Amino acid sequence: MGLEDRRGLERDVYQPAEDSALLAETAAERIDDDALVLEVGTGSGYVASRIAEETDARVIASDLNPHAVREARSEGVETVRADLVSPFADGAFDAVAFNPPYLPTDPDNEWDDWMERALSGGEDGRAVIDPFLATVGRVLAPDGVVYLLVSSLTGVDEVVERAGKEGFSAVAVADESFPFETLTVLELLR
Amino acid sequence: MNESLLEILCCPLDKHDLELEDAEYDDDEVVAGDLVCTECGERYPIDDGIPNLLPPDMREETPA
Repeated sequence: MGLEDRRGLERDVYQPAEDSALLAETAAERIDDDALVLEVGTGSGYVASRIAEETDARVIASDLNPHAVREARSEGVETVRADLVSPFADGAFDAVAFNPPYLPTDPDNEWDDWMERALSGGEDGRAVIDPFLATVGRVLAPDGVVYLLVSSLTGVDEVVERAGKEGFSAVAVADESFPFETLTVLELLR
Repeated sequence: MNESLLEILCCPLDKHDLELEDAEYDDDEVVAGDLVCTECGERYPIDDGIPNLLPPDMREETPA
């Protein structure tokens, strides 16, 4: 399935799909009511608002995309325009959820707009996941946990190995198969 | 933004604390102002109630 097929009707902001639903459901089931939660790359705000609705956790959502943070805020989500976790305080979060851009993309086929940024994970699909794994540990509380959505298109084993190098042990806590990919939610703990 | 967010945020460049300056409020919500790094002095604007904490070199980067 090409990137263009994944583009929704909305031009600038990724709209919730199967991956968003799986991440929202899995994170909401596992996050404690008194948690402080960050959702990175919130897009429309769907995952953050579901976690906020289904738990009593306080959820902060970030995105690089100015259209996304506005859309998420209009859904009642507390939003920050940010590059991954860079402006968040050390040890601040009990949980961080991320549905990253993960589709492997031929560099010749990239188009430089916000929807491409929301979908493309570069040539190996991990261009955003790798820097996220390298930095997320700083903002996690000592018992903090990461919920990361990964697709078989991106390579779950490669992501688990990379997470291991960053000091995380990974457990697959949910998965769902589709004709073109299998989606997995990894729970990362230190 | 809710002012309590300040405790959760830091300067994306050097991770030092931020201070709220020139704040404008709508009820309890901060709708405009700047978040200023207490160490390096970099200013991060609050646009329409949303703090823009992109590092300065990414702030102007706007694909179509």
